[in-house]
Amino acid sequence: MAFKNVDFVGGWRIWFAVSAVFLLLSVGAIALGGMNFGIDFTGGSKFTASGVEGSPGTEEVGDALPGDLGERSFVQRLGDEGYEVRTPVLSQEENTEVQQALEDFLGAEVSVTSISPTFGGQIREQALQAVAAALLIIVLYISLRFEFAFAFAAMVALLHDILITVGFYALVGREVNLVTVVAVLTVLGYSLYDTIIIFDRIRENTPEAGYNRRRYDQLANNSIRQVVMRSIYTSTVTLIPVTALLLFGESTLSDFAFALLVGIAAGTYSSIFIAAPTLCLFKAWRAGRTRKAPRGATAR
Amino acid sequence: MSNRRNNLIILGLVVALIGVAAYFIFLRQPVAEATRLGLDLEGGVSANLQGYKTDGSEVTRQEMDLAAGIIRKRVDSLGVAEPEIQLQGQDQVVVNIPGVTDTEHAIDVIGRTAQLGFYEVLAAAGGQQPVSEDEVEETKDELQSELEGDPAYQEGGTKILFEETPSPSGEGVIVQGYVVPEEPGVTGEALESAIIERDQAGRRMVRINLTGEGAGQFGDLSQEVIDNALANGIPGQGRLAVVLDEDVISAPTVREVLDQGSFVIENQEGGGLPKEEAEELEIVLQTGALPVNMEVLSVTSIGPTLGSDSLRSGLLAALVGFGLVLLVLLVVYRVLGVIADLALLIYAFLLWGLIVAIPITVTLPGIAGIVLSIGVAADANVVIFERIKEEIRRGKSPRTAVGLGYQKGFKAILDGNLTTLITAFILFALSTGSVQGFAVLLAVGVVLSMFTAIAVTRALLGIISDRGFKLSAPMMGVSKKSLEAERPAKAGKAGAGAR
Repeated sequence: MAFKNVDFVGGWRIWFAVSAVFLLLSVGAIALGGMNFGIDFTGGSKFTASGVEGSPGTEEVGDALPGDLGERSFVQRLGDEGYEVRTPVLSQEENTEVQQALEDFLGAEVSVTSISPTFGGQIREQALQAVAAALLIIVLYISLRFEFAFAFAAMVALLHDILITVGFYALVGREVNLVTVVAVLTVLGYSLYDTIIIFDRIRENTPEAGYNRRRYDQLANNSIRQVVMRSIYTSTVTLIPVTALLLFGESTLSDFAFALLVGIAAGTYSSIFIAAPTLCLFKAWRAGRTRKAPRGATAR
Repeated sequence: MSNRRNNLIILGLVVALIGVAAYFIFLRQPVAEATRLGLDLEGGVSANLQGYKTDGSEVTRQEMDLAAGIIRKRVDSLGVAEPEIQLQGQDQVVVNIPGVTDTEHAIDVIGRTAQLGFYEVLAAAGGQQPVSEDEVEETKDELQSELEGDPAYQEGGTKILFEETPSPSGEGVIVQGYVVPEEPGVTGEALESAIIERDQAGRRMVRINLTGEGAGQFGDLSQEVIDNALANGIPGQGRLAVVLDEDVISAPTVREVLDQGSFVIENQEGGGLPKEEAEELEIVLQTGALPVNMEVLSVTSIGPTLGSDSLRSGLLAALVGFGLVLLVLLVVYRVLGVIADLALLIYAFLLWGLIVAIPITVTLPGIAGIVLSIGVAADANVVIFERIKEEIRRGKSPRTAVGLGYQKGFKAILDGNLTTLITAFILFALSTGSVQGFAVLLAVGVVLSMFTAIAVTRALLGIISDRGFKLSAPMMGVSKKSLEAERPAKAGKAGAGAR
């Protein structure tokens, strides 16, 4: 059996410490203003030039924009023959003007996406709602299929994964947009799947007899050992196509794949090293409380 | 026996489904046209518009339905293939026009309210000197304050509208401001049709024909203009403004009662109205005014090059990922891997068939959803196969182990997939456009994968073992070493050993 000598539950201090390092890094990156919000959330216009011949510098491209727009815009290279220009909110006519200017300057096809600030606000709201709703329904579902302790542990693991995914995004400065939110929700579903496989095994192995901390922790350890190879294989199987997306996909797909890559890696770790120990600790804490409660009642 | 019959039924079903999928993909139409691609892969303009009213009252669903109908007619008259017009929520409409990249033109056609009105001009200012393009807004501000000082202007009872015309000299723009009553004397309901015509000099113009009743109202209005001009001591100098969406198109001087029932929107310069503008006017006037005003929330125009680049990179990623997954399953699970690979191939083909048959529009996020669902499909097999390996290590015979693997693996897979489905549904319910494409493909993929990864692989395994093919532990990727490592610990329990 794999990982025979690893104490998944007993060694929680080590696992949690490892996570804490990553979490601190993530929270630090987010707090230091590292979030690079895309026009999906802020409103504005995005121009994508593809099939550009020659390679002018990003500054020259900025100078090609009409008026002083170059100073208020953000230009970046996209692969070998592409450019992306992000500008503040523009009117329809201005959009056409900028598109024309870029087409003339780069001699290439320019695609445009423009989003009004009102719509950006709506999208932001929807995104937050979606994540909140997903978390809530998942807690209910797990409480129903398992019990609340499992739901609590799964939730801790999920928040861990979301924070790390978003944090790494901030760290490398990739643009946070609607696609990122989709990626986070997918990570959420995926990490949960992983966690549930482990929980399912714990549930299966749990004897009818009442709770006993030493026995339960032992059982959780054994359950994890039984399914850990499966966790690693399935993560590999999923990470392969995701890595392919990261390498071969253009900007949108590669952003999406990056979030998935981080999220699924974090999710695999958290299912094994966070969710299960949390479940055991939570059970132990609850057992301790219920044992103390009657004693306190008689004293009074 | 009944097991065997079940297996045959499932395989028969698979063959039938593959046949149906093949019909949809290859036979119903040329295979190149089978898959409906989204705008982000094909190129085109997509716009999200929100209806609103100038008086701030709420837009009803009926009004949006009506608006969507009118927008559909307008897009149809642009002559593009398969536009998509969808209402979203209470007051939004999404318009997808494939194959068009001229955003401004498209937005002008679909988003223009096209409310036509005829007003009596109460006061006018400006128009002497042409100004350059950059000074237009400034000039309007000046005229605005000038006209607000005019005795004819009354806050609330009148409004100020502007007319911009290219200067006859060819340089700059002539800007004029007019004070007109708040409500038009004759509304757009008087309009019967609008068509592009050319005058004797070949200049392009748009002729507006009024209905019989409309012509009468128009006549009455012109009579009123003449009478008021007479009363104000400027006989024969009264003017009438033709207004489209708060822009004055022209403000001719009315010397006699106009009862001709038709008039033209023209441009004295060069070839008359620019071709695009004339077409826009014809389309929006002909299809009628939108019942609400439209604010453009977002516009995306994807060029065909960017679209095909995205498609190519997405497909490449999907294929490479798919191929590697097949390879990994084969290496890790040997014979079981062959079965799983077969099931995955069936899965991929059936999914394609479903996408074509429903049809689901494939977008870039949709491709991501498909790639992810390949992972999910393979995952189900990994869960089951790991369980089978585990049972074999515990000393079960391969046949029993296979049975147990499916039985015990199923529950975990069901729970796992249900949570993925929950996420997909939430994504679908709370999002718009492209994200929904991802959610739909993920959900369809997950459901389909439950069938192929569980039912189909099990039937395949059942059939080959019925044929007398004996699975051995190494064939399933369980190494001798790991068998021996487990054996001493379980020596007491292990009865029927695996060979």
